[in-house]
Amino acid sequence: MKFHFKTLTLSGALLLGLATSCQKDFLERTPPSIILDAQLWNDTGLLTGLLANYYDRLPTHTTIYSNWAEYAAYDEAMWSGNGNGPNDRFTYGSGSWGNWDYGLIRDINLALENIDTQSTSLTSAQKDQFKAEFRFLRACMYFELGKRYGGVPLVTTQLIYNFDGNVTPLQVARSKETEVYDFVASELDAIKGTLGNSGSVTRANRYIAMALKCRAMLYAASIAKYNAQSGLNISTTGGEVGIPASLANSYYQKSLDAAKEVLTGPYSLYNGNPSNKGENFYEAITRKNANPEIIWAKDFLTAKDYRHYFAYDNIARGIREDNLGSSALSPILNLVEAYEYLDGTAGTLKTQNAAGTDYIYYDNLNGPFANKDARLYGTVIYPGTTFKGQDVQLQAGVKLWNAASNSYQTIEGGLASVYGGAAFPNGDNKLLTGSSGPQANQPEVSNSGFYLRKFIDSGAGTSSRGIRSDTWWVRFRLAEILLNASEAALELGQTADALTYVNRVRERAGFPANSLTTLNLARLQNERRVELAFEDHRLWDLKRWRIAHQVWNGNSSNPDAVAYVLFPYRVVRPGSAMDGKYVFDKRVSPRYRTPRNFQLFNYYTFIGNDIRNRNPLVVRNPFE
Amino acid sequence: MKSKLPDRKLRRSFQHSLVPLAWCASVGVALGAPGSPAPVANASFSVSTNPAEPTEITVQGTVTDSKGEGLPGVNVILKGTSKGSTTDAQGRFRLKVPDQGAVLVFSFVGFTSQEVAVTNSESLAIKLEAQDKSLEEVVVVGYGTQSRATVTGAVGQIASQDLVRTPAVAATTALVGRIPGVTGRQGDARPGAGTSIQIRNMGTPLYVIDGIQSEEGQFNNLGLNDIETISVLKDASAAIYGMRAANGVILVTTKRGKLGKPVVNVNGYYGIQNFTQYPHPANAYQHQRGLVESEQNYAQIERRAARPVSDPVSGKVLTADELEKWRQGTEPGYKSYDYYDMVFRPNVPQYYLNGNISGASDNLSYYLSGSYLDQKALIEDNFFKRYNLQANLEAKLTPRLRIGTQIYGRAEFRHTAGVPGLDDYFNPFLSVFSMWPTEAPYANDNPLYVNQTHNINVNPATYKESITGYNDDDWRAGKLNIYGQYDFAFGLSVKATGSYNYTTNTFNGFEYTYNGYRYNPTAQTYDLVAGGGNQNPWREQRRRALIERTGQIQLNYNKQLGDHGLSATAVYERYDTDNRYNIVHTVPPNNTIPIQYFANQDYLFDEVVETARAGYVGRVAYNYKQKYLIEGLGRYDGSYLYRADSRFGFFPAVTAGYRVSEENFLKNSGVGRVLTELKLRGSYGVTGADAINPYEYLQGYNFGSGASIFNGSYVIGVRPRGLPITTLSWVRNKTTNVGVDFGLFGGKLAGTFDIFRRRREGLAGLDPNTVLPREVGYDLYRENRNSDETKGLEGGLTYSGVTSKGLTFSVGAHATLARRFDLGYSQTFSNSWDRYRNSYYSRWGDVGWGYQAVGQFQSEQQIADHKIDNDGQGNRTQLPGDIIYKDVNGDGVINYLDERPIGYIQGGNPLVTYALNTSLGYKNFTLNVDIVGAGMQTYQREYELLIPFQNNGTSPNYILEDRWHRADPYNPDSPWVPGKYPAIRRDAGGQANYNRRSDFWIKTVRYIRLRNVELAYNLPKPWLSKVGFSGVRVYVNATNLVTFSTLNDINIDPEITSTNGLGYPPQRLINTGFSVTF
Repeated sequence: MKFHFKTLTLSGALLLGLATSCQKDFLERTPPSIILDAQLWNDTGLLTGLLANYYDRLPTHTTIYSNWAEYAAYDEAMWSGNGNGPNDRFTYGSGSWGNWDYGLIRDINLALENIDTQSTSLTSAQKDQFKAEFRFLRACMYFELGKRYGGVPLVTTQLIYNFDGNVTPLQVARSKETEVYDFVASELDAIKGTLGNSGSVTRANRYIAMALKCRAMLYAASIAKYNAQSGLNISTTGGEVGIPASLANSYYQKSLDAAKEVLTGPYSLYNGNPSNKGENFYEAITRKNANPEIIWAKDFLTAKDYRHYFAYDNIARGIREDNLGSSALSPILNLVEAYEYLDGTAGTLKTQNAAGTDYIYYDNLNGPFANKDARLYGTVIYPGTTFKGQDVQLQAGVKLWNAASNSYQTIEGGLASVYGGAAFPNGDNKLLTGSSGPQANQPEVSNSGFYLRKFIDSGAGTSSRGIRSDTWWVRFRLAEILLNASEAALELGQTADALTYVNRVRERAGFPANSLTTLNLARLQNERRVELAFEDHRLWDLKRWRIAHQVWNGNSSNPDAVAYVLFPYRVVRPGSAMDGKYVFDKRVSPRYRTPRNFQLFNYYTFIGNDIRNRNPLVVRNPFE
Repeated sequence: MKSKLPDRKLRRSFQHSLVPLAWCASVGVALGAPGSPAPVANASFSVSTNPAEPTEITVQGTVTDSKGEGLPGVNVILKGTSKGSTTDAQGRFRLKVPDQGAVLVFSFVGFTSQEVAVTNSESLAIKLEAQDKSLEEVVVVGYGTQSRATVTGAVGQIASQDLVRTPAVAATTALVGRIPGVTGRQGDARPGAGTSIQIRNMGTPLYVIDGIQSEEGQFNNLGLNDIETISVLKDASAAIYGMRAANGVILVTTKRGKLGKPVVNVNGYYGIQNFTQYPHPANAYQHQRGLVESEQNYAQIERRAARPVSDPVSGKVLTADELEKWRQGTEPGYKSYDYYDMVFRPNVPQYYLNGNISGASDNLSYYLSGSYLDQKALIEDNFFKRYNLQANLEAKLTPRLRIGTQIYGRAEFRHTAGVPGLDDYFNPFLSVFSMWPTEAPYANDNPLYVNQTHNINVNPATYKESITGYNDDDWRAGKLNIYGQYDFAFGLSVKATGSYNYTTNTFNGFEYTYNGYRYNPTAQTYDLVAGGGNQNPWREQRRRALIERTGQIQLNYNKQLGDHGLSATAVYERYDTDNRYNIVHTVPPNNTIPIQYFANQDYLFDEVVETARAGYVGRVAYNYKQKYLIEGLGRYDGSYLYRADSRFGFFPAVTAGYRVSEENFLKNSGVGRVLTELKLRGSYGVTGADAINPYEYLQGYNFGSGASIFNGSYVIGVRPRGLPITTLSWVRNKTTNVGVDFGLFGGKLAGTFDIFRRRREGLAGLDPNTVLPREVGYDLYRENRNSDETKGLEGGLTYSGVTSKGLTFSVGAHATLARRFDLGYSQTFSNSWDRYRNSYYSRWGDVGWGYQAVGQFQSEQQIADHKIDNDGQGNRTQLPGDIIYKDVNGDGVINYLDERPIGYIQGGNPLVTYALNTSLGYKNFTLNVDIVGAGMQTYQREYELLIPFQNNGTSPNYILEDRWHRADPYNPDSPWVPGKYPAIRRDAGGQANYNRRSDFWIKTVRYIRLRNVELAYNLPKPWLSKVGFSGVRVYVNATNLVTFSTLNDINIDPEITSTNGLGYPPQRLINTGFSVTF
């Protein structure tokens, strides 16, 4: 019996072992990364985290940290990476640029309401500042929606479904396009005094608010004016799309006023490197400390693993620091030629003599680019220039003179190849093709003859996957505000002011003081194109001026719609004075076969069936 | 019928191959008191004989087995009396019987009884047929065992000796083609990889190892020799395992010691591996010619003269003379490099050694085993190794109390050369088609200098540990099960089990920087290419610690009251896991120091995942005379995924069986002598599946979602979550199965057939009737709305026996068809096309859509006459050889509206699988042949297998060889020469031949594969006993020797899932091995 007792004890112990491991509730587990309401609304640190999330989610179209392949969809660059990407795009889809992001609007409205009801330990000043910042973000969102779709439903409180099966109270109709812009303006005016964040370039303050207002009002104004003037008159009967031309001037005035308010702020055009205007322009955008030009930026920080691959993907091939990547975006000749010469002449590169019978022979690869607008250097790596202190070898091949046929034979080799050796026993053993190309069809090397300099990190190792880059994305800088002001002033007939504003920008680029004495919109359009290249303006500018369908008309004989490249060659013509000089071939890009085709329906992104099926009050956009 | 037999005694040897197949008639199993021998159940007696007759004669004779050897101890009884005798050591007997009408009954355990009427012949020669034992066989089912005869669920089983027949690295691979209803596909067969196993194509099954729910990785890495049996619960019988069992259950039992003196077994094999098949890249001539043809073709499309094409390596123009030099390949500088041979080594070894000792005394049983497996990769410096330890002990403390333990230890090592970027096994495969055959891996072919090729990242010269570094992915696990069981006298037993499993995964990666060189032939120097090679050092350690804890209390009750058998089981079980994962990454300052320093750190990852589940299980089974069988079971299941007030759900199942062959009307009829076993089975059950993400019931805010840099400081983001999900509950899996098992001629021919359906109700979907405007900014939460079903049928047949000449044979065949059918309804459509194209309502699942290719253009004239816009550009991009698409809707243009269903499931397990398993034995030889096959599966060619010069590389040789082209690549007026593939155009991924998913490129995969051939020889016992061995077996064996497949023309193995073909194909393994027992 005793033994029996022992066995029972043993088995009892086993059962007990199971039973005692019972916690309060075995199935109740604590999530490791979820915060509850009670914790959030009374902790300013966590509320700042909420802002960090909202700022991070602000929609963008094309930036260095997202969707940057789209740079190659417009007339600034082409795709030289793997695959054919934008180079094969026949048209822009009806849903292009769409972003019906009411998720962020809902989250902002939620914050605005909850901070009132649930923040018990915050002072009213703290609450007001948070609320102002939330409203700034919401205004920003509505501007982003407005420039894509026109008028959208203005939802300013949470739409809460009560599960009664009736969704009609949740259906909000589209506002007029004007109402969206007016909402943005009035919100920004209302909060600018309480935003705080003085001196910040990463969190909204009064000047950032006014910079946003300045841009938004300029968009509204030019849409009002040019939608009518172009004769397109794209509109809906309810005014969801289309702004009456009569409102143009008041919007221009608002834009100008907002610009003037920004100009009273602590900003100036960057001029930290006055002896090298080209480097100076590069620094104006990439330099983070002591840069008085930056108004608002999205910042990155390598030390905290908050970084991007832009430099890895777009560094010039010959100086890349990784065995993969590089060269995805090649700026095209179209953009390069938009940069004027400093003497004020047009930027067309001179590659052939006046009669068109022979090349112009340059001593150096950078010959054709001498005396160009310094912003070209700051934006584009062109032949004969350096980056990070290294030569970016851009030479497509050699032009071998054939005396018999009285013509040149073009010879192109692999990257960093030598014109000589077994392949070319009669070669001169000098460079055949540069380590950075260009090559007509190979991926991961420029196919256009140019590389991007703007935004590319000049720090060591930043083009390797191991280190990456933390250059920031500039949302607003003073040069844009000056150009906005110039455009608004010009449209309002204040040409003298307009010239003052634009000449400040040009002077920083190396032009002499007061380089422009007359002004028209076309001039300003080109100025924006070259100053703000790759800063996510080109598409929106062409849209608001209502010229996108003409510039990118899908016609392969239209030099604006087709991508052009520039291939440099070294002349091999022993015994001649031309030997060893450089010549340049302009041609239509071999890898970019499709002309850009912007159609009228692209002016306003289609709403789409899904959105309209869910809310019948949302009317279609024109052509939809 | 649930029996609590003294299972260790009955569990002896299982002699079947194709599991649920083989059983037959004749005998039932007594489920009475433990230890009683199984009586011969020849239940129909005819009470007839009159013993009053005094005249007696003496009958004598011999009883032998089928081989003619005398059987000692056979009972010889005069029918109708208790009078009888037994045979002696030589099988002889002598008995006095009445001289008329006497019938002798010969019976012996393990043999079919025989009745013989006594005639006048003096000496009887009786030959007893070995009885089919499959009905006695013990089948492992949920929380217990049953005899095969009384199983009512659809349960398949495979035993040890059949499992190790294919020398598989992972246990899942060993299951392929063994059990009807179990489908398999090894989409990537890199060293150490398992096979995707599904039961009836329902999804990944649950694995239960020695009663403990376990992850697939644990099953895959068990020592294959340590497995005693594997049972597969395919229908509602799986429901007893609750919410994770919706896709069926695979039950594993590891070996125990068997009563007797210690048995030592040592076994092992050594094999050499090659790929079943893999495409070869084009040679230099094909490559260069392709470039020239591409330009010629583009020139025609663009209506211009062809431009000279330069060799991208040398820059030389590829003239006809140049091309001819490449064709000859003899001149210096015109060598063709074969990167297939460069990347893959032939005949790499795989070997295995296992030793185990087992035995049992009255109070203690033990099984101790250790094994080592080493599988090298066809890629240098890559390998897989595994060590396994298994210790199973059980002690009887008192006659009624047992305690025991199972201890599992394993260590797995996956080692690869540390190729930067992607998966280390991907890049080598990519290399084969990314390198140009015209460029050298080494500068000037000097192996000291890695050539800076056009894409050095895929230059296989770098795939050496000494150059590129290494990655070690190591898993170590120790698992301990402890149990105690007390058996009460009245049929109740109580068992408590605890299990603790600790698994660590350490990943250690160190990828070096290396340089690339170019040879300068003039200066005869090797020039370092600035920025070449790889200048991106990478060092990373990852650590995962996974704890799995299980507790179980189980009550079992068994009682036989006359003809009524009753058994009941009750279980409480719960388990939780704690999974912690860390990554530390640094940018190492050099290639030599592996220690990580904080100063170089740039990344940290930390994750904790917990899960917890619990369940109450009950089962009651009843049978009457083992003829009518019924079983009901239920599980009350709880999961941490749901809110506290709705955590538990109840899920019942019922199974029933009717053994028609036990009915007298059948037994006594002529049919009954042929059809010796016939059982009808049916089952229906519901299980819950907790398919929802953790903590969806909480609203709140996610910490760590997004971030911003504010004024130079990093601020971690906080993001509001969506609506809390409160009403989404269990997916209910309703499983129905109807089956029949039959045996003919005492089990010589046995078969099984099942029809099944698993309906899933309550799959997550949105309410189609309540659509919230997008402007509310959140989604309505998902509800239990959609449903689908997986249905099909399976069956198997085996024929086995012994010929008079002593040839033993077993031939089995089985097949399975299982496919998903969508029933779901929570969808809204914008228009009728949308509905036609995208509906999930009432149609077969996994239908692949695409264009229908109706031929290829044969001439330019045909293109000119073609009225349909084939390429969306007025056919101006078309050349002879281009694919003509069917304009299904007749609108004159090919666009998405012309897409139609053209394929089956892609990447998943095939819908039809079948297998043939044959085993022949003669004297000391055995020959096993296993054939597997599959069908109704789709393979789509993409990228490297589709587009010429994909990604600036080269192509498989057939794409650049068997193509439409002009007879003279330099003469635009030369005639077209037809080929299989379209005319070559490089960088043409967007071209109409390639950017449309069509059935020109999509193949329905069907294959038959000689999975396994094995010839074994058992050394004769008399020889062995002299040296003290009890058995020595040697064998040669081949796996995947031959495959007939619809993908053979592109050299792609039919199991590969990767659409670009860049996956590690299954191996053809030629192998020799031994097993020594003493």
